Amino acid sequence: MSEIHIEHPTPKKYVQIAIVLGVLTAIEIALYYTEDIVGVFTDPLLIILAVGKFVIVVGWFMHLRFENKLINRFFTGGMILALILFAIVMFERASANFF
Amino acid sequence: MSSSHAYPHEPTGVETRKLGMWVFLSTEILFFGTLITTFMIFKGRDFPGIKLTDVYDIPFTSISSFILLMSSLTMVLAHNALEANDQEKTRVWLLATAMLGAVFLAGQIYEFTEFYHKGFELGTNIFSSTFYVLTGFHGLHVFIGVVLLLALWSIGQRQKGLSLDGGMNLEFVALYWHFVDIVWIVLFTVVYLI
Repeated sequence: MSEIHIEHPTPKKYVQIAIVLGVLTAIEIALYYTEDIVGVFTDPLLIILAVGKFVIVVGWFMHLRFENKLINRFFTGGMILALILFAIVMFERASANFF
Repeated sequence: MSSSHAYPHEPTGVETRKLGMWVFLSTEILFFGTLITTFMIFKGRDFPGIKLTDVYDIPFTSISSFILLMSSLTMVLAHNALEANDQEKTRVWLLATAMLGAVFLAGQIYEFTEFYHKGFELGTNIFSSTFYVLTGFHGLHVFIGVVLLLALWSIGQRQKGLSLDGGMNLEFVALYWHFVDIVWIVLFTVVYLI
């Protein structure tokens, strides 16, 4: 059986990634407590940080960045469908009022 | 150094079981996507009864979140150790992951109990129902993950060691565990911080 080998990161690299994730979480919590200072930028910044953490875990810990394109398509396909559903419902919530 | 494999002999170029696992995770995204959407419909609206913001404890939940995040590190280290065929390290990291998951679960049970004592119950209003269904289903996923991790650890203890080719595959359990972690990354922001 012929196999193509793709190198994964070393344990040291994984620890570095975990430190980055920990720092991002600390920034999230700091943003929560400084909402009065950061103001309207708090929620967008929190979303950006969550997306960043999500991408890091999926890309590095789940190895998606090293995987076959087909796997990438299935995963991003699920994400896109969920985001479309979310966008449609939120649009309806804002425009039509559910109650 | 660890490595992953491509399968040129498979029509898709991907191991079928692995592809199946990713398709399953894709459906799980839609499952949690629906629950999060339902939660967001009712978030920020006025309902009778005590509010979530009156009962939650951000420092406590932040520590729980950090614990679950670090369990992803121990999980990837277990996977890495198995790829290097280091059975002892694999078992240690697997057990560490299961323990961190159990600590997260204990925290969630404590949090739910506190909320109930303060009057934020499943039937308080429709918003509280969406909160418990969303976070409860995530907790159920964590519980299943802990059971799978302990089963793998037990198999590793009793047999000659774990393998990446077996039916009860560490790689798939790792994928499931990381998925549970990324769901919490979203929930922590959407439910507690925003």
